[in-house]
Amino acid sequence: MAKYVAKRLLLTLVMIIIISFAIFVALNNTGVDPISFKLGLDNYTPEAAAELREKLGLNAPLVVRYLRWWKDMLSGNFGYSIAHGYSIRSGLIAKWPATLEISLTAMIVSTVIGIGIGMLSAIWQNSIVDYLGRMIAAIGNSVPEYFFALILIQLFSVRLQLLPTSGRVPAGAVTFWDRLPNLILPVAALAIPMCGNLMRYTRNTMLDVANQEYVKLARSKGIPEWKVYIKHVFRNSMRPVVTVLLFRMTLLLGGSVAVETIFSWPGVGQVLTQAITASDYSVVMLYTLMMAVLMLTISFLVDLFAALLDPRVRLDK
Amino acid sequence: MDKVNAPVGGHQAIANARRLGTSLRKKRIRKFVGNKLAVFGLAVIVVFLFMALFAPFLTPYDPLEPNFGQTLKGPSAEHWFGTDSMGRDLYTRVLYGARVSILIAVSSSLIANAIGVVMGAFGGYFGGWLDKGLVRLSELFACFPQLIIVLVVMAFIGPGTFNLILVFAITGWTGTFRLVRAEYMSKKEETYVKACEAFGMSRLKIMFFQILPSVMTTVIIQVTMNIPGYVMSEAGLSFLGFGVPMSTPTWGTMLNAAKSMKVLLYAPGVWLVPGCAISLFVLAVNFFGDGLRDVMDPRQQ
Repeated sequence: MAKYVAKRLLLTLVMIIIISFAIFVALNNTGVDPISFKLGLDNYTPEAAAELREKLGLNAPLVVRYLRWWKDMLSGNFGYSIAHGYSIRSGLIAKWPATLEISLTAMIVSTVIGIGIGMLSAIWQNSIVDYLGRMIAAIGNSVPEYFFALILIQLFSVRLQLLPTSGRVPAGAVTFWDRLPNLILPVAALAIPMCGNLMRYTRNTMLDVANQEYVKLARSKGIPEWKVYIKHVFRNSMRPVVTVLLFRMTLLLGGSVAVETIFSWPGVGQVLTQAITASDYSVVMLYTLMMAVLMLTISFLVDLFAALLDPRVRLDK
Repeated sequence: MDKVNAPVGGHQAIANARRLGTSLRKKRIRKFVGNKLAVFGLAVIVVFLFMALFAPFLTPYDPLEPNFGQTLKGPSAEHWFGTDSMGRDLYTRVLYGARVSILIAVSSSLIANAIGVVMGAFGGYFGGWLDKGLVRLSELFACFPQLIIVLVVMAFIGPGTFNLILVFAITGWTGTFRLVRAEYMSKKEETYVKACEAFGMSRLKIMFFQILPSVMTTVIIQVTMNIPGYVMSEAGLSFLGFGVPMSTPTWGTMLNAAKSMKVLLYAPGVWLVPGCAISLFVLAVNFFGDGLRDVMDPRQQ
């Protein structure tokens, strides 16, 4: 077990180095010059650009700059946005809570509803619940989250005038109830497609497991139906469901870029789109790196969790 | 072995197999037709393809020509779905948009799957360090939100239809890779492969002429099932402004209009039309793909 964890951590580290170097090289060859963005049209002269370049240390060889970047990262000095001059600590890292707020809430909501309806759908196969659930799942799988976002704004903000169209009430002085209205629509836009996905998946795995011999045996022993489902079916069908968690998180974070733009939600997705437009690679790099660390960590946890749920999975092989 | 009877028996076996083949096909077609959702999906796909192919004959308008006297009009007899903020007919733009959107999705899916098949074949058949390396590479891609890799890559190669297909193909092969690799790993132990190896057939020939046909079912289903994702990703990226250039009409660039507050709040038709086109097409391909899978590969539900 310890050996597996160590191996996995080493691999994660190697992956992070490869990813960061690839992005570093790629973004240095974009052809878009962040310096010209910083100077703007009015102040741009070749001399000013050269001077600024020298001052920011952009003339050193690529590898030197890459190593320097790592040194800065490790000492907690995340640097500044080249194009806009904001400190990355306040401009990017401080935006994570906002993004995680909607994506994690969407994840929890979609997990509870998705697994719940998926289970009912499997237990009462071909009932009204099942048909409705499958219909919602089909729609959730086919309508992209940004389109849901637009529809929700039109419906709840413009027509019914119930909820605000955009923005986030910062945490702190206000209560949860003041912040809730701004949270509902973005979370719903992200959660509905996820729900569809999960509902379908839960239903199919549950039905798969429910048709296995040991479940029939449990039934034939006279164990009450609810107990069969809770004790025998549910537990065994949860392992594959947990495994899709990783993919759902990537989908959520990817989807949150568009949703944040639509709702003017001040999260990292918005920062990313602005940084990409300006070819602001110090920001894009750190964003991608943080994403890589997050994703590799989740994938690691999912593997561990899968092993805990299923004694047949051996990690130290 | 009876030399006289062998060829006859062989012919008969082939004839039997043929008959079985046609009856199997008939059975499959019957099963597919029995699946109402799949037939509905196929019908919608056919309608969309027809509309995309014959777009110039189905509408008198130009998808790009602005008409500033007719901006943001609601549906009418002249403009079935209304017009956008530059006075362009939305019905026309959906037709022409279908061309590019479907082209991007289908070609991305085909190329990504081709990459996945080749990588999976090599990894699964040869094993060893090559396989390990490919698996690591696929994990690297799979653990990232695809939309974000595509965003970052598109940022430095610039927007464009071809670039988008390229990036989709490079980032989208991992699912097929995993499936094909698993199939090759089990198939390479089968007797017919062992026989070919014993006869000294080249490994490439075994991989692509002996094993590949039996993997094709999986691949065809994968190609179909990947198309919806690409339609939605194209639209999402173009919506953000990083997909195809705004001058190309696609469902995504049409949706981009919703970035204007005025359109988002007060002219919902402008984004509702492309949004519904995307959703309907994706729904249809999903239904069709499910039906196809039920018929062709009943094991994999």
